[in-house]
Amino acid sequence: MIRVFLGTALTGAFVLGLGLIALAAGGSRSLNAYLTLSTLLFAIGMFGFLARRNAISMLMSIELMLNAVNLSIIAFASFAADNNAAFRAEGSVIALMVMGVAAGEATVGLSIIMAIYRNKKTPLVDEYDAMSQ
Amino acid sequence: MEIGSTIPFTSIPWDDALFVLLAGTMLASGLAVVTMRDIIRCGLAMMVCFAALAGIYVMAGAPLVAAAQVLVYIGAISVLVLFAIMLTQTKAAPSRLVFQTQAAPAAAAAVILTVVVLLAIGSTTWGGGTERGNTDTVALAKALFADWILPFEVLGILLLAAVIGGVFLAKRERGGPTDPQR
Repeated sequence: MIRVFLGTALTGAFVLGLGLIALAAGGSRSLNAYLTLSTLLFAIGMFGFLARRNAISMLMSIELMLNAVNLSIIAFASFAADNNAAFRAEGSVIALMVMGVAAGEATVGLSIIMAIYRNKKTPLVDEYDAMSQ
Repeated sequence: MEIGSTIPFTSIPWDDALFVLLAGTMLASGLAVVTMRDIIRCGLAMMVCFAALAGIYVMAGAPLVAAAQVLVYIGAISVLVLFAIMLTQTKAAPSRLVFQTQAAPAAAAAVILTVVVLLAIGSTTWGGGTERGNTDTVALAKALFADWILPFEVLGILLLAAVIGGVFLAKRERGGPTDPQR
């Protein structure tokens, strides 16, 4: 019981501590906070893509990176100069396009992983070494 | 009952408090996606990360993109990823090493990228407005279905090609490249 409380408290403190990065970057009314969040999410995704062994983990990291870019597009559109409504709408349109392409990428990537898994019987990318033998 | 713009008895605005919570949830679950050992939990953490990001889209004034995020990412892509995880999971996989040998250089590269981009963001004066605004959905529809109609149609063809290609690649064909009995 005490472990559950302690774990919840520690997780909450961790989440709040990470959230305070966004506050330190300017809070919800500044462009810099959104761009900082986007940078951090992109870096997390890049680390996952380079470091994970599982092919599906690498695909999830790519999705994180695509979402980070989408966040920066939305942030730039949201802080348009002179309350420019057309510019703002085009930012949302570009974000929707990125989402559609990401959905196609996930479909094809996962089916490629399934095809490789059927031959190799493993989802770990460092065991795909047929070319080096 | 009137709700003020700040949390009662403090001077913290509601939107900043919500932003801190959403940002913290997004970053913490993003870290969980790339560091946790059990890959099913990674997939579930990815759903939490996308949900928090949808909340941040609402705060940035793009509610339609937030709705699309919930439908496309949480509803479709996450379920696809979870299905693929369950189809490819082996008994030995979770107990073995999670990271490749280049994990430390990858972490260093990620930290360097973060520092460089944050320095660039901090030293740039953005020419835009200083107040965030809401996206007008009618203006969005006019832009999507008038000015952007050709990219929209091309995206539809791309998705059709992706579906056909996905079925073709994952199909088990007798004597084909993915036939286990060959």
